[in-house]
Amino acid sequence: MASTACFVIVSKNDIPIYDAEVGSAPKKEDQAYQHQFILHAALDVVQDLAWTTNAMSLKSVDRFNELVVSVYVTAGHTRFMLLHDTRTEDGIKSFFQEVHELYIKIFLNPLYLPGSRITSSHFDTKVRALARKYL
Amino acid sequence: MGREVAESCLDGVVMEMVSAYCSRFYAAKPELAAGRIEAIGFQVGHQLSERYTMDRPRFSDHLEAIKFICKDFWSELFKKQIDNLKTNHRGTFVLQDNHFPWLTRVSLDPSMESTDATESDSASLGDTAAQTTTMLLYFPCGIIRGALTNLGITCAVSADMSNLPACSFVVRIKT
Repeated sequence: MASTACFVIVSKNDIPIYDAEVGSAPKKEDQAYQHQFILHAALDVVQDLAWTTNAMSLKSVDRFNELVVSVYVTAGHTRFMLLHDTRTEDGIKSFFQEVHELYIKIFLNPLYLPGSRITSSHFDTKVRALARKYL
Repeated sequence: MGREVAESCLDGVVMEMVSAYCSRFYAAKPELAAGRIEAIGFQVGHQLSERYTMDRPRFSDHLEAIKFICKDFWSELFKKQIDNLKTNHRGTFVLQDNHFPWLTRVSLDPSMESTDATESDSASLGDTAAQTTTMLLYFPCGIIRGALTNLGITCAVSADMSNLPACSFVVRIKT
């Protein structure tokens, strides 16, 4: 099942702290840049939408050609953004919830400075495994 | 995220940390010790608030966030809620706890070592005991400040301990 997906975590200071291409389609260099551009452009929409609701999962906030951006916002205003194609709609909420748990584990590490890049390879492996499972 | 630790161990660690910063690390400079203790509390509060807000919807305004601190956050930390919340609706909140768990073991006899745990009584405080209690209260002030900062509210928190074991925390939101 070939699918494109790009996952980015943006902190509340609007600094991306983690990004990964998690789709199973063959990766092309220029497409990776385009995906990140689309996600960053969607940040404005997310900002407006985040104030209108109390829910964490904002579902799909923006479209570009056939790609859809889904966003999940935590109480600390950290945004998990996923760019995916319309074939992979289900399971995204569970994916976000599991990544949220992983993120909290990183956050509870006393040596982790909140707002800095997540460099743990363990986290990276886990996120990619979750992406294969749910997307 | 599910291992458990005895509550008395946690009380012991907090008391020892306060005593270490006051009498060993910054013995002659209580302001620096206070700052460090508050900073430790800040990081703890910051991380704990992320963990305890995981399963609940986000907050729409400051009052909701303060109510979360009074109810859910305090019951996760101390197994009880804040007893009284007052506000002047202009950014100042007073959180009053009538029986603060960490203060019930503070020794009030000024001639004893402050790390001993004995029953408290409501007699007048000696000088060193008052100072140790003030230092100890910087830690929960830091916890509250860290939790609120993670929820997006910049504030200053101070503690008022006019009658033990009740104490109140005054939160001033910076606008």
